[in-house]
Amino acid sequence: MAELVIEQLMKSFDGAEVLKELSLHIEKDEFVAVLGPSGSGKSTLFHLIGGLYEPDAGAILLDGDNINGEKGSVSYMPQSPSLLPWRTVLDNVLLGAEIAGHKDQQAAIQMMEKAGLAGYEQSYPHQLSGGMKQRAAFIRSLLSPQPLILLDEPFSALDEFTRSEMQQWLLDIWQRNKRSILFVTHNIEEALFLADRILVLSEKPAHVVAEFKVKFERPRAQDITLTEEFLQYKKEIYKVLKKGELK
Amino acid sequence: MKIMQKGWRPVLVLILLLIIWQVLVPLFQVPDWLLPTPYQIGLEAVNSWPNYSGHLFATIRLSILGFFIGSSVGLGVAMILHLVPKLRETFYPLLILSQNIPIIVLAPLLVIWFGFGLLPKLVIIILVCFFPITIAALDGFRQTSGELLHYMKMAGADRRQIFWKLEWPHAMPSIFSGLKIAATYSVMGAVISEWLGAQEGIGVYMTLASSSFRTTQVFVAILLIMCLSMLFFAAIVLLEKRVIRWKTSRGGDANG
Repeated sequence: MAELVIEQLMKSFDGAEVLKELSLHIEKDEFVAVLGPSGSGKSTLFHLIGGLYEPDAGAILLDGDNINGEKGSVSYMPQSPSLLPWRTVLDNVLLGAEIAGHKDQQAAIQMMEKAGLAGYEQSYPHQLSGGMKQRAAFIRSLLSPQPLILLDEPFSALDEFTRSEMQQWLLDIWQRNKRSILFVTHNIEEALFLADRILVLSEKPAHVVAEFKVKFERPRAQDITLTEEFLQYKKEIYKVLKKGELK
Repeated sequence: MKIMQKGWRPVLVLILLLIIWQVLVPLFQVPDWLLPTPYQIGLEAVNSWPNYSGHLFATIRLSILGFFIGSSVGLGVAMILHLVPKLRETFYPLLILSQNIPIIVLAPLLVIWFGFGLLPKLVIIILVCFFPITIAALDGFRQTSGELLHYMKMAGADRRQIFWKLEWPHAMPSIFSGLKIAATYSVMGAVISEWLGAQEGIGVYMTLASSSFRTTQVFVAILLIMCLSMLFFAAIVLLEKRVIRWKTSRGGDANG
């Protein structure tokens, strides 16, 4: 169902081109990572898909419908957990569904249980650790009815140890609750470990310069990051990224 | 319990000051009509309860009524100004400017316009109450965390959802600081309005007492006003504790 197609997207701010003829697509239940140097317009891409701005040219199609400038068509998980401090964790994970108009408290409680947040339903966000807040934020986007989830460098603020734990957790829960995911990161290993496909963005004005299919079997375990194949991928992606920077 | 632990120092100083007062007045032979002793004031407060209780309740009624109307008007104005940015740009400076007019100066005018009834008194209280609330609420709405706002927008929240789910609860602590100020101001406003001419009220009691040089009663009136303000303040603090349970002792983490 959730098929995102982006065609020839253009966007500039104050005359500076940020996106130039950017095209990509995401299949149903596919996990796609977008890698790019910092400041390469990744956030702008998300804002356009999220409908905060209208593109200057091009089209964003979700399941065939044009969603240019239409808010609320996708669900979103930002870099910071952005939980509302006055809501309990349960009310927080329900927020996305609530905004979209239909919430299911029972499903939320079950999901929290599966996600390792059982017993924290009535806690407030400040009582959670950084990793747990991010779990709550991801559950919030999973419980939203939208078929596509945008993840904006969700683990970049976590320490290395928590991050790899969270990556494994994310894969586990996604395996059981399949959605189409667009995941932005600047971490090559993270992209390789998580994604089915990796898109590499160029410097500004951004467009897709390379695409890698990641052929590791699912479910994946952390130790694939130590294999020769993994390193090989990493080298290739690194080369592409370096070339983009030097240009 | 906490108040007992932290509050004993100021209480001690207060008692000390009262003792000094009590000792110095007879020592320098200050006449009663100039400065009565704390003991005399206390005695008067206890003995003339039947004389002033009616006045006290009149003032309480007036302040509470004025406070409720004033805070509702204040919140309403803040919401309208916040939701319509053009209106805010136009009226916010005027609002600040209007506060340069001391309310007490307006009082005679209000009497000319509205007579001596309830209305001019309420208008005075509303005028003093509404400003702190409007400013506090407006600031609260505007200081909403950018990250949370960004999330709400990306999640597809419309203006109404953003206001009620994000900006309103976010402004709660600010609104409560505005309410606390307004609550104490409302007592002051009530007394000022009663000075202008009323049948009953602490203000009336005070004017009567001062015009007949019953200084002890004037002090009783001052004591009553203080107690009333503190009571109102405490009531708002209690309400705040009930409503804002998510604020931690360490100040809370705005971004969850």
